[in-house]
Amino acid sequence: MDILSNLLMPVTDLKLLGLIAVGTFAGIYVGAIPGLSVTMAVSILISFTFSWDVYPALALMIGIYMGGVYGGSRTAILLNIPGAPSAIATAMDGFPLAQQGRAGEAIGIVTVVSFIGGFIGILALALFAPSLSDFAIRFQPRDFMLLAIMGILLVGSLSGESLIKGVFSGALGIGIGAVGMDPLTVQDRFVFGFDELRGGVSFIAVMIGMFGVAEALSQLHSVNTPAVKQRITRIIPAWSMVRKHLPLGMQTSTIGTVVGALPGTGGDIAALMAYDYAKRTTRNPETPFGKGAVEGLVAPETANNAAVGGAFIPMMTLGIPGDAVTAIMIGALFIHGLNPGPMLMVEQPHMFWFIVGSLMLANCFMLIFGLTGIKLFVKIVELPRTVLIPVILILSIVGAYAVNNNVTDVYWMLGFGVFGYFMKEYGYPLGPVILGVILSRLLDDNWRRAIISEQESLGGLMRGIVTSPLSLCLFLAVLLIILSNTPVWRYVRRNKAA
Amino acid sequence: MHPSRNRRPGELVFNLILVGASLFLLYSAYGISGFEALSSPGAVPMLTTAVMVLAAGRILWEVLRKPVATDQSFIRDILPMPIVVTIAMVALYALALSRLGFIPTSVLFLIVMVRYLSRRGWGFCIGVAVGTVALIYLVFRLIFSVLMPQGIVPEGEILAWFSRLF
Repeated sequence: MDILSNLLMPVTDLKLLGLIAVGTFAGIYVGAIPGLSVTMAVSILISFTFSWDVYPALALMIGIYMGGVYGGSRTAILLNIPGAPSAIATAMDGFPLAQQGRAGEAIGIVTVVSFIGGFIGILALALFAPSLSDFAIRFQPRDFMLLAIMGILLVGSLSGESLIKGVFSGALGIGIGAVGMDPLTVQDRFVFGFDELRGGVSFIAVMIGMFGVAEALSQLHSVNTPAVKQRITRIIPAWSMVRKHLPLGMQTSTIGTVVGALPGTGGDIAALMAYDYAKRTTRNPETPFGKGAVEGLVAPETANNAAVGGAFIPMMTLGIPGDAVTAIMIGALFIHGLNPGPMLMVEQPHMFWFIVGSLMLANCFMLIFGLTGIKLFVKIVELPRTVLIPVILILSIVGAYAVNNNVTDVYWMLGFGVFGYFMKEYGYPLGPVILGVILSRLLDDNWRRAIISEQESLGGLMRGIVTSPLSLCLFLAVLLIILSNTPVWRYVRRNKAA
Repeated sequence: MHPSRNRRPGELVFNLILVGASLFLLYSAYGISGFEALSSPGAVPMLTTAVMVLAAGRILWEVLRKPVATDQSFIRDILPMPIVVTIAMVALYALALSRLGFIPTSVLFLIVMVRYLSRRGWGFCIGVAVGTVALIYLVFRLIFSVLMPQGIVPEGEILAWFSRLF
């Protein structure tokens, strides 16, 4: 009874209900604007909810978080500029749908599957939080390293027409991620004597440059072509379509929850892994991946929203943040005199159930707000390109600047934008560059920790992998992914299908 | 992406630059800590730049084997004037941002760009520029407290004057 009353508290208290609604609504638009991040919004909220009671403060933050993760898909679909890193994979099939005049349909599908993914993540938080956090804490550096290798192998899925160009792009991304002072030894890497490079290259500046500026420059080739008229006949997807993709959505939601629960990972990695999973397991998509496949929307969007619930698992049960936003939320709980971790679950279980209830409610508001206003939103794509392109550029500039309030990030964005434009022109995929940047630290830090813990012995590392059931599973998964990229595998699958 | 079976104008030069840059980065990565240890800070950079060199070399080999596309030109198909002007304008924007400040630089950038691309009347261009900048200023500066460069506009005084009105 106590659990139920705490779970329903956000619904029964009108003030909390209103704050979650406002937070979710604002989160959708914060998430949609490149350069404005949920992390930024939640950090700002801490300063002015400082004097509030803990419940309303958390309610507002949870609303922003839930809405923001979903909101990133809007500009990814409409403009091919992901509002947040977790929407990078969504752009790959969402933007082609917008180019076909089906932006409304794409946003409708994304909204519904985001709700489903979010729901599964929250359900996992409510039912399996202790056991999932036990699982997450067992991850050793070598397991994170294997996870990063699995991530790097997604290059195969993101490469488009040329695998070798995808490999180059992925390696370039890892190299970009390595720029700056090494966090373990404070030694300079690829700094070339420039102090500005010591802090590394802003990932957001790379993302906005490669996706925003490069896309805007590419669109200048057809600047006078009339904009594609969007057909908005149906926004809420047919039940048959939802049912058809539900099994995939459930599987990718599980991926999202587990990846979200691992400290140091988040919705961005979860979404890319889910996209890769969908590409590998979907036998005959109605539309090919990269050209507007519905599966290419379902997988990343279920996974990144499921990762929200997942990220709360280590936060609530161990006091370890699952991602940047939950790290800030831990700070907010400290400010309000609470100490997240095992003791919080024992001493104040009502807080746990309040968070679960708030997440559920925010997820419902995300569905409602996500499905309304789409007709107005898709009008953005119908604006003449002669106006839209300069506006995209100014948003890209402001977005890159806003990350660190630093003009250097604008130069980086422009540099990567121009370089990304030439890469696009000559057939290099840009997705793997971003993938490399995202995974660079995860791979580098954990490889070094893993090999140091084995006294620099590769044999010792391999022994560790084969003797640990968890590492062995991950290692076999890596081998399976490599095998599935070989011609032998494709030959066997073709024969099996025939 | 423009997959092409023919070598596009500038493709060979671009790939030569990539091979050269990859070799330079491999040399830089070696300079971090050489072959000191598997856990050295240069280990992963060396591995990734080596992959870049191999991949770029292979791509260059493929590009060299492609027939040259005779129906395309670099100026018309790869780097036409609107793209050159846009890149120059963004670079100018970045240079002027600190000196002039966010508001005048952004308004000027948008007026020039919309006018250049659309050839519409000045009234339309100024309307689009001022409206867009006002909206961005409201969201980024006033709601999210992102401190944009102030430059020549005394924003602080103007905002204080407005706040005194209410």
